[in-house]
Amino acid sequence: MNDLGASAAPSPEADGQTTGADGTSAGARRELSDDERRERFVAEAMPLVDRMYSAALRYTRDPTDAEDLVQETMVKAYRSFHQYRPGTNLKAWLYRILHTTYISMYRKAQRRPQEALQEEIDDFSFYDEVARAGGSAEREVLESLTADEVKNALAELPETFRLAVYLADVEGFAYKEIAEIMDTPVGTVMSRLHRGRKALQKALATYARSRGLIVEDPEDEG
Amino acid sequence: MSAEGDDVECSDDCTQALHRLEAFLDGELPNTDVEDLREHLTACYPCTERASFEEQLRAIVRRGCTEEAPPRLASRIEAALDQGVGPDLGMGPDLGMGPELRG
Repeated sequence: MNDLGASAAPSPEADGQTTGADGTSAGARRELSDDERRERFVAEAMPLVDRMYSAALRYTRDPTDAEDLVQETMVKAYRSFHQYRPGTNLKAWLYRILHTTYISMYRKAQRRPQEALQEEIDDFSFYDEVARAGGSAEREVLESLTADEVKNALAELPETFRLAVYLADVEGFAYKEIAEIMDTPVGTVMSRLHRGRKALQKALATYARSRGLIVEDPEDEG
Repeated sequence: MSAEGDDVECSDDCTQALHRLEAFLDGELPNTDVEDLREHLTACYPCTERASFEEQLRAIVRRGCTEEAPPRLASRIEAALDQGVGPDLGMGPDLGMGPELRG
């Protein structure tokens, strides 16, 4: 399909259809030509593909699914790129699409019940475990953990916790952004983050223990 | 650790500091509290140790979860943009989202 230059036909989405609520604000949807839209999308959104692939791996835990998820996300984002307002947070907008796309592509198919975390997780502290036990110094323990161990530990978390922790700790999104991406109240984000991090620490502590980085106090229960 | 006044190594200040630490490291602690916490951390070695452990842990998670997409993915996507299609997953175009993510 050759849509280069020539015709000034407006793109179908941007066509006619009244201005909507925010009518007059400056720069609010000046219609882009297909070329401009494509150029801007490639310049601004495509550089985020690597990051989004990392995110998609945390979502799907499968490389092939992750590629499909990113592709579908980008295609959708491109289709609705006219809704994106320049100057607002493009990355958060894309991740919101990634999230909804993931839910419609995968969660529906799996119909996995949302798992919870145990109550006791709130009391867990990796730092205390390391500090209390014999074995390596705190810093060494952390430095000794491999990327695979970190990824596995994260992958083991129940989905909502896993995603909140990933979006905060790896992507650096603010609570409010995560709330919008995951379509959930900020308070829920905060508690998922808190408990998710605890559970992640617990999983990492288990790896550390199994490698002898934390030497068990015989009186502790496993 | 209860803050019931006993001579545990952890004072009320520490308890409060640790309570705020997570939001602080997330950059979500209100400015007024940030000052207090910074002050406490400057003075309290155990809390500083703990804070830097938490910080380092996040760095390790970040490092562990950052990977590159296979090179073919970008070209796959660009080709899909041209055709306006994704992988065939039988999905409608509805995103179920509002455009209201403001920066």
